[in-house]
Amino acid sequence: MAAAFLMNRVFQSVGIGMLALASARAGDDMAFFESKVLPLLQSRCYECHSHEKKIKGGLALDLKLGWQTGGDNGPAIVPGDVAKSHVIEAVRYTNPEMEMPPKGKMTAGEIEIFEKWVAMGAPDSRVKQTTAKSARVIDFEEGKKFWAFRPVSGEAAPAVQQTNWPLDLMDCFILDKLEANGLSPAPDADAYTWLRRVSLDLTGLPPTPDEMARFDASPASRAAAVDRLLQSSAFGERWARHWLDLTGYADQIGTSNSVFAEHAWRYRDYVINAFNSDKPFDRFIREQIAGDLLPAASPQERAANITATGFLVLGDVEIVAVDKLKMEHDLVDQQVSKIGTAFLGLTLGCARCHDHKFDPVAQTDYYAIAGMFRSTDATYKTENGVWSSVHKTELPETAGQKAGREQMLAVNDVKIRHWEVERDNSNKEKAALEPQIASATKETKPSLEKKRDELAARIKTLNGQIEHAKFFAPVAPKAFAVHDRENPADMRITIRGNPYALGDTVKRGALRVASWADFSKIPAGQSGRVQLADWIADARNPLTARVTVNRIWQKLFGEGLVRSVDYFGVRGETPSHPELLDYLAARFMENGWSQKQLIRALVLSRAYRMSSSQNATAEAKDPDNRLLWRMNRQRLDAEAIRDSMLAISGKLTPSSGGPALPLEFPENVNSLSPKAVNPPAFAFKKMRPVQDFERTIYLPVIRTATQPGSAKLRDVFDFTQPAQIAGKRAETAVPTQALFLLNSDTVRARATELAKQLGDSEANIGARLEALWLRILSRPITSSEREDAVKFLETMPAEKAWIELSHALLSSNEFLLRL
Amino acid sequence: MNTNFISRRSWLQRTATGFGALALHDLVQAAQSPLAVKAPRFPAKAKRVIFLFMSGGPSQPDLFDPKDYIKRMHGQKVSAPINTNELRVGTDKFLALATHGEVKPRGQSGMMISDLLPHTASIADEICLLRAVHADNNQHQPAALQFHTGVTADVRPSLGSWISYGLGAENQNLPSFISIHPDSDTRLYGSSFLPAAHQGTKVIIPSSDKQSPIDYLADVSGDAKAQRARIDFTQRMNKRLLDQTGTDARMEGMIESMETAFRMQMTAPELVDISNESEATKQLYGVGGKDTDKNARACLLARKMSEAGVRFVQVTMGGWDHHGNIRDALPKSCAASDQPCAALIKDLKSRGLLEDTLVIWSGEFGRTPWSQDLSGTSPIEKHGREHQPESFCTWMAGGGVKPGFTFGETDDFGFRPVSGKVHLHDLHSTILHQLGLDHEQLTWRHLGRDFRLTDVYGNVVKEILA
Repeated sequence: MAAAFLMNRVFQSVGIGMLALASARAGDDMAFFESKVLPLLQSRCYECHSHEKKIKGGLALDLKLGWQTGGDNGPAIVPGDVAKSHVIEAVRYTNPEMEMPPKGKMTAGEIEIFEKWVAMGAPDSRVKQTTAKSARVIDFEEGKKFWAFRPVSGEAAPAVQQTNWPLDLMDCFILDKLEANGLSPAPDADAYTWLRRVSLDLTGLPPTPDEMARFDASPASRAAAVDRLLQSSAFGERWARHWLDLTGYADQIGTSNSVFAEHAWRYRDYVINAFNSDKPFDRFIREQIAGDLLPAASPQERAANITATGFLVLGDVEIVAVDKLKMEHDLVDQQVSKIGTAFLGLTLGCARCHDHKFDPVAQTDYYAIAGMFRSTDATYKTENGVWSSVHKTELPETAGQKAGREQMLAVNDVKIRHWEVERDNSNKEKAALEPQIASATKETKPSLEKKRDELAARIKTLNGQIEHAKFFAPVAPKAFAVHDRENPADMRITIRGNPYALGDTVKRGALRVASWADFSKIPAGQSGRVQLADWIADARNPLTARVTVNRIWQKLFGEGLVRSVDYFGVRGETPSHPELLDYLAARFMENGWSQKQLIRALVLSRAYRMSSSQNATAEAKDPDNRLLWRMNRQRLDAEAIRDSMLAISGKLTPSSGGPALPLEFPENVNSLSPKAVNPPAFAFKKMRPVQDFERTIYLPVIRTATQPGSAKLRDVFDFTQPAQIAGKRAETAVPTQALFLLNSDTVRARATELAKQLGDSEANIGARLEALWLRILSRPITSSEREDAVKFLETMPAEKAWIELSHALLSSNEFLLRL
Repeated sequence: MNTNFISRRSWLQRTATGFGALALHDLVQAAQSPLAVKAPRFPAKAKRVIFLFMSGGPSQPDLFDPKDYIKRMHGQKVSAPINTNELRVGTDKFLALATHGEVKPRGQSGMMISDLLPHTASIADEICLLRAVHADNNQHQPAALQFHTGVTADVRPSLGSWISYGLGAENQNLPSFISIHPDSDTRLYGSSFLPAAHQGTKVIIPSSDKQSPIDYLADVSGDAKAQRARIDFTQRMNKRLLDQTGTDARMEGMIESMETAFRMQMTAPELVDISNESEATKQLYGVGGKDTDKNARACLLARKMSEAGVRFVQVTMGGWDHHGNIRDALPKSCAASDQPCAALIKDLKSRGLLEDTLVIWSGEFGRTPWSQDLSGTSPIEKHGREHQPESFCTWMAGGGVKPGFTFGETDDFGFRPVSGKVHLHDLHSTILHQLGLDHEQLTWRHLGRDFRLTDVYGNVVKEILA
């Protein structure tokens, strides 16, 4: 104690002595600062870097502490080191990414003042302290207390008063909340409404008159209907689309120049199969993040695993950037952000440049995950100009597939040779015509010229066909997919997202706030995607199952238990029924992450049976229906509107998937030459006729332009922009939709077809009306409607009247809504 | 969050007698309509905007910013201060390409404008030329996206949507945001997470009777009486359902929009009809001109819409992407757009509208002072120019910006700004400022965050304000 005291005194006196020696010079330095530097700071920097005005980039220059701590780029000045001080770099305008002041370079004299000041050690006489902006330090333990980051707890169902209401334990949670708030659940919807509801929700199609006839609303009949729907391929065709909304899927790479993504459909088909085969969701996660690294028991499984990683590269991937390093970093950011939104319900992209402003996600958390994707190859530079493309992986084939393909290749070769022969002959013939034309008489010349021009046109067509056939020659199947880089490594922080300004190296790992143990060891030579997938798909991850069951709930009940389905962070919505959310999450995982089992239980619940009708008392208490005292009505999405119209008019044509883009027509493709400046691109001159009758999910998805052919309906009815990652679609009522319903050929054609079919099959007006109502609205016609319809039919000629009447029903709210 | 259904029970009660009798005016003027007029935050200089978008990237070295050094070095290699991280295709020789045609001082201020733009030259004293505008991406799609939405990727509300959201519609009978002849990327006039009422309405000026100015506008049944009977039947069905289920803002919204759509069929063709304009006006714009007709009609329509109170009108004119043979192609693009754009300014001025209408003319980027030759074998006279976001030229007029004023300077190459640098975020914040909106306050909560057009950037360019 005494010794320490003594030592202190010694140091203090030494310190005082040094201070005294230095003080004379210090006085001059301070004078320089105050007379030269400070006015410059005030006039050129404070506007954006002071507590009075703004603190851009986190940098305040009105305090000594400000430049010492620095902003997002770290300390702004290294006293004595001109070369290492960001402020000097900025005012010298040597780095185009950071030129200060932004509106114009300072004079040479002014820059010199700054250089001199930094060289002399940046003396700064300002002593004022501020509490205004102290750096936020993320407390992860504190962060873990937030509901979304707490472990999922296996909640027991609460006891309820109205014991005869619940059909499933989950109903108890709903009823309990209603009873606690003095509300009662709405009565059951009638049988027709329920059957239409469940059919649309599970398959995106209304029930057929036959299915309605067989349905008797008994528990067995309901269960049978649900099982039939879950087993139909229409189920996967609907629910795969919900998932694709979270991937930014399109049959186009990026958004520039209509570059076709000719293999993208394999990922779409993979997702449809995953839903139809009820692939356990934890497996679904692993395949999409790291399928290329997973073991496989068969060539088919291996092919599916590789195809699944399309998840990582089928968003709006920029491929035309001239700065490839920056482009790759931007793609990594997209991948991290997409994983954050789709699986975890977090906005991770925010942490690319700084710690997340609201959520306990540090910048280092971001780079821990980003390092895995920086260690993964997703794009490569092509021969076309400045263009890159998304990486493609050849898929393993069975012997049978290989043999079939080789046979097709042989046929293609023959076809090409045949065309080449014809072209060469035409060329010769054309060459032979030239001298004849030169020496022809006035009379014979026109016919010879005509012949030559015809030959020239034919040669052009043949060349196009040959180029097309060569380009699209049957080769081993490929999928857009990723693979690990040769030397996977931890990543360095990029300062403000600039890949040339690097900060500390961050060890690969996961989000600390959602972790329960140290991150698994990443084997040498691997990216770490397997370990990340394991972490996301772990039953102990607090987010994954909650986010997933909430998404399913939202699709069935109209609103999520957490209404901000893509964002579970602290500024998101809190769950209306937190215990139910946890109960469902736990049940989902216990049942092997089976989506079909969860969906089956939810649609057979009592809550799902409720009518959607209003109730004034309940509405006064809970206008937003947060407590679910009735079913939420939903407007059909674009796919369900189009597919239902096709089904109702008996024209829906089953598809087994396959290429969405009709690239087999040479007129739909341009720029096929491998050395062209721009990459091969599509142009929609022609669709396959069958595409007008296939389910919407099979139609090409185009990112920049209006959707081709009858897919146009998607543009009108709130289809998620395929550059966006969104679990819930916007729902708007704009006049364009009404105009589409009134005047589009699409709706008119369905109405016309329907009227014709009814006219052919039902002679009697009453039966025809009955059939029309059953088909379009999935319920019998009422007597007042029949009266109204009969009157309507009398106002115009029969054929036209039936078209108009069908059209009227297809544009009615009852058809467009699922009640 | 995106819901824009408004409960209008009183409206429904009032109109229970007949949906058909309803005026569009009543439909959209409900007090809580997202398009209801909102007061600006501070006194505004401009009430509306017309944005003339030169899609493809006009060549500012040829049109507004010639450099002696480049002229002297024509055909020779220059050592450009380029970013070596970037790939180059066809520009790797860095051959200086002298300005084509003459760029001369114009008007009282001596603003530099090319002979290729004689009509623009004649309005030099009305416009404010920014010569050091700067953007972040050198590819069309991301650059155009940034110009319209502030970001180079993703889906965000467009400039017109933000302005519609900030100020509402001046004329409740018309959309607040119209985009004439837009590019194919629908995000350029989309509202993203803002209510759909703020999205741009795409308008095509029909070149034949078969074309419709707005999609799905032509009555498909070809029989107006039958169509109305059908709509009435549908609306009776809708009314019965509504009575049965109780209040439903969504259904009410759908019922309304069907009536709005019906009325749009009547009013929209009128809206794009310019036959009532005087011959002198049509001639001023170049209506009927071989090169100018399409853009002349579009600009004239823009004035008409703007005059009628549409908050944001955009006209897109393409054809500026001159990678090769620019000396041949550029004069054509100029000829197609010069007269219509200049006429718009003159017409607005003569009608007293220019003072509170802000007009902006710009491409998504400019072009390089050195040449581009994708073939690698053409003579310099046949070369083109590559994209250049580092600096390019934009002009503005009216709406409280300084007329006859040139702002910003680039280096000896005409590549990087040396003074008066204006980033797109600065341009956006300035546009909002002139409309009385603070770009830092105009926000929308989405995914837990308050989004702005200018993200965390943007400074109002006070130097150019009158």
